[in-house]
Amino acid sequence: MLGPDVTWYLVISGILFSVGALGVLLRRSPLIVLLSVEIMLNGANLALIAFSRLHGESDGQVFAIAVMAVAASEVVVGLGLIVAMSRRNLALDVDRLTSLRG
Amino acid sequence: MTSVWASWITLLSPLAAALAITLAGTSLSRRVAGIVATTGTSVAFVAAVVAFVDLLGEDGEQRSHLDTAWTWLAAGNFRIGVEILVDPLSVFMMLVVSGVGSLIVAYSLGYMDGDDEERRFFAYMALFVFSMLLLVQGGNLLMMLLGWGLVGLSSYLLIGFHHERPSAIAAAKKAFIMNAFGDATFALALFLLIAHNRSLSFDALGEIDGASSTVRNLVALGLLGGAVAKSAQLPLHTWLPDAMEGPTPVSALIHAATMVTAGVYLIVRAHEVFEAAWVVQNLAAIIGAVTLLVAGLIALVQTDIKRVIAYSTMSQIGYMFLGAGLGAYANAMFHLMTHAFFKALLFLAAGVVIHALAGEQDMRRMGGLKRLMPFTYWCFLIGALALVGIPPLAGFFSKDSILAAALDRGALGAILFSIGIVGTFLTGLYTFRMLYLVFHGPRSVFVSEHHHRYHGREGPATMLVPVAVLAALSVVGGWLQFAGVWTPVTDFLDPVAEQIAEANTWKEILASVLAVALGICGMLVAWAMYSARSWRVPSWRPVRRVLEEKLYWDRLYDWIFYIPASWSGRAIMRWFERPVIAGSAIGIGVGARESGELASEVQTGYLRAYALAIAAGLAVLVLVFISVK
Amino acid sequence: MIVVASVGNVVVWAVWFVAAFACIGSALAVVSFQNPFFSALALIGNLASLAVLYLLLNAEFVAAAQVLVYAGAVMVMFLFVVAYLGGEADAPWAGGPSWHVIGAVAAAAAILTEIVVVIGVKAGDRLSREEDIRAAFGSPAEIGRLFLTDHLLAFEVTSIVLLSAAVGGVILGHHSRRFDDPAIADRP
Repeated sequence: MLGPDVTWYLVISGILFSVGALGVLLRRSPLIVLLSVEIMLNGANLALIAFSRLHGESDGQVFAIAVMAVAASEVVVGLGLIVAMSRRNLALDVDRLTSLRG
Repeated sequence: MTSVWASWITLLSPLAAALAITLAGTSLSRRVAGIVATTGTSVAFVAAVVAFVDLLGEDGEQRSHLDTAWTWLAAGNFRIGVEILVDPLSVFMMLVVSGVGSLIVAYSLGYMDGDDEERRFFAYMALFVFSMLLLVQGGNLLMMLLGWGLVGLSSYLLIGFHHERPSAIAAAKKAFIMNAFGDATFALALFLLIAHNRSLSFDALGEIDGASSTVRNLVALGLLGGAVAKSAQLPLHTWLPDAMEGPTPVSALIHAATMVTAGVYLIVRAHEVFEAAWVVQNLAAIIGAVTLLVAGLIALVQTDIKRVIAYSTMSQIGYMFLGAGLGAYANAMFHLMTHAFFKALLFLAAGVVIHALAGEQDMRRMGGLKRLMPFTYWCFLIGALALVGIPPLAGFFSKDSILAAALDRGALGAILFSIGIVGTFLTGLYTFRMLYLVFHGPRSVFVSEHHHRYHGREGPATMLVPVAVLAALSVVGGWLQFAGVWTPVTDFLDPVAEQIAEANTWKEILASVLAVALGICGMLVAWAMYSARSWRVPSWRPVRRVLEEKLYWDRLYDWIFYIPASWSGRAIMRWFERPVIAGSAIGIGVGARESGELASEVQTGYLRAYALAIAAGLAVLVLVFISVK
Repeated sequence: MIVVASVGNVVVWAVWFVAAFACIGSALAVVSFQNPFFSALALIGNLASLAVLYLLLNAEFVAAAQVLVYAGAVMVMFLFVVAYLGGEADAPWAGGPSWHVIGAVAAAAAILTEIVVVIGVKAGDRLSREEDIRAAFGSPAEIGRLFLTDHLLAFEVTSIVLLSAAVGGVILGHHSRRFDDPAIADRP
């Protein structure tokens, strides 16, 4: 294959995943958290495509498309939640949502 | 066999009465409950008479039937059955128990009339009669022990009948605990018997001869312990005076006529064991003698009419123990029978007095009742004369033959004889002291204010009739045996318990003369002190003190048993129970709650903290998977 | 790693590097920007560079889907919401390194290290031998064929997921009169 090995793509995938995790853990705005989750999902997708290329089977790509569909659904619901939260004048700050305490 | 099924009827009809009263509950009126109980015990008596008559129709040696209902315990070749024994001794006791018992239950119809818990009383009385019959009819030692325990239970229930009174509850507990001690020694003796004889039946008792002397003595000692506790002899006697807290019919039935005589019955029934351990048998006689003396002395200073009669009972049972300990079994049983008559008579007559005085029992407040209650007075007098042993009343015939048998036994016998003779003096003294204080003299203030008649008579008919019957029995009951001349009682009991102490006619006459003479002396002294008032009652303060404190026996037991037990109980409570046991139980709860609170600190509600936990967990898990793979 | 010195190879490497750096850089930008609008734009850049990477891996259809669906639809939705909400900002790196920040960085670093180590240690040699691929490797025909034969169940289930998400979205967005009442709108 031309260009770098599958290994390099996997490293990128790992970095993407970690950066996404960092974002989920560090940001307080739920919107940004959702974006970070998207990054993590994309990282996983990249790994899937890379392995699909490695084995020469297209099943990984099929899986990646399914992941994309699920990610889209999850974004819909997540954004709906955020909008509902703001409509009820809740603070858009995950640190303030502590009613599960205790 | 007529006698066998008649005996079963005797045993079971009081039980049926008790069950009927218990199960029917309040659907029976109180009066009807009493009638049911009376009927049950009367049926038992009739059946006992039938069994007796049937037994008489057989030859001497044939008169022993062991009937097994079913096998209760079976282990290897050791078998115990639920069985009753119909033989002269058991039929004798059956007649006494059911006869006197039914009279007293009938009396209770009048005495307990109006009490709120009359049904409970009659159920307990019927239960008691059943238990006592089981004791005397039991075909082996285990059945006897079963009856033994049940009479102890019935006694507890009946002494504590007025359970609102703390003194009654305390007395019931005291009686039960002291009896439990005797039950324990009884059971230990049974264990030894099983170990050696491999059987608890009465026929096999003689095999204890083959054991070592230690075992023989231990078995006999264990049985004696049970007898001493049940019959309130020294040193296990302190419960009997307190047991007077129970209603008067209870005192009459349980603590005079029947239960307390169970110890004597045991010694006679198991006489082979005692004859194999003659040391213990002599000990029984000595205990009887000492008890009769001590009880007589204490009775001299009692002020409660029932307690005088209670100590008198203790004393008379001492005579029976003396007789059984000497080997004069038939004499002891004969005295048991006559004693049942006149002691029950005394109690019931005293009950009429108490009933008429609205519950007063202190003799110092009584006096002059002779003219107010003549019928009761004459019956009481008959009972008193029978007790002292004045011919031709019942006590004369039975008591004197025991004393005569003592003369047959060498040096020890002579000592015991002297004690017994002194006892007759004391009997005369305390009995007539009681009579004079209650009935003679001017009418006391209390009597004038509180005496009341029952519809113009001295008491209800249900109370007076049994008293009259017992008075008649106290007169004629002794005529069943005249020592040396006519001895149907001894002959009847001979196949079961052969007398080993027989006095010749000369000794009998000596004993009788001395006994009657001293008894009359006691009566005269009492007359002088309490009726004619010509002699001043000596107020030897220290002696009086000792006697009033019942020879300090209660104090002694307090010090030996009660105080250490309650001290150690409190100490254990403080040092062990509360900190360790309760503390650990509470501590588990507290600890669970605290650890729960500690654990709940993890749930901060912070989303990011949870996410961090997930990420960290993921990192750790991957590490684990890598290294394990 | 055998470097084939040919023009095509060099071009591919160059494109790869550009796409890779764009990808990682935009990811870091998403996480760092205070303004959510800029974060969303950075994510669009991330998605585009990922599409390039997919193309380099011969997954044409997936690359196209990525651009159309993800960057085209999902991110547009995001931007709509960001515009509606007005973009409240929070400063992620302000306040100094608290235990939370340290913990988060440590966890992320650990995960990254582990991924690299795992891949390197466990599957190092196998990763360097790629299979030859057919011409129809990443084509829509191939994907479609697989969806309708081998992975039919996944196909159907995914459609149900999408349906439930749509329903959820409608419910969540339902304009309830109750919550317009100012008296009870301030509940936490």
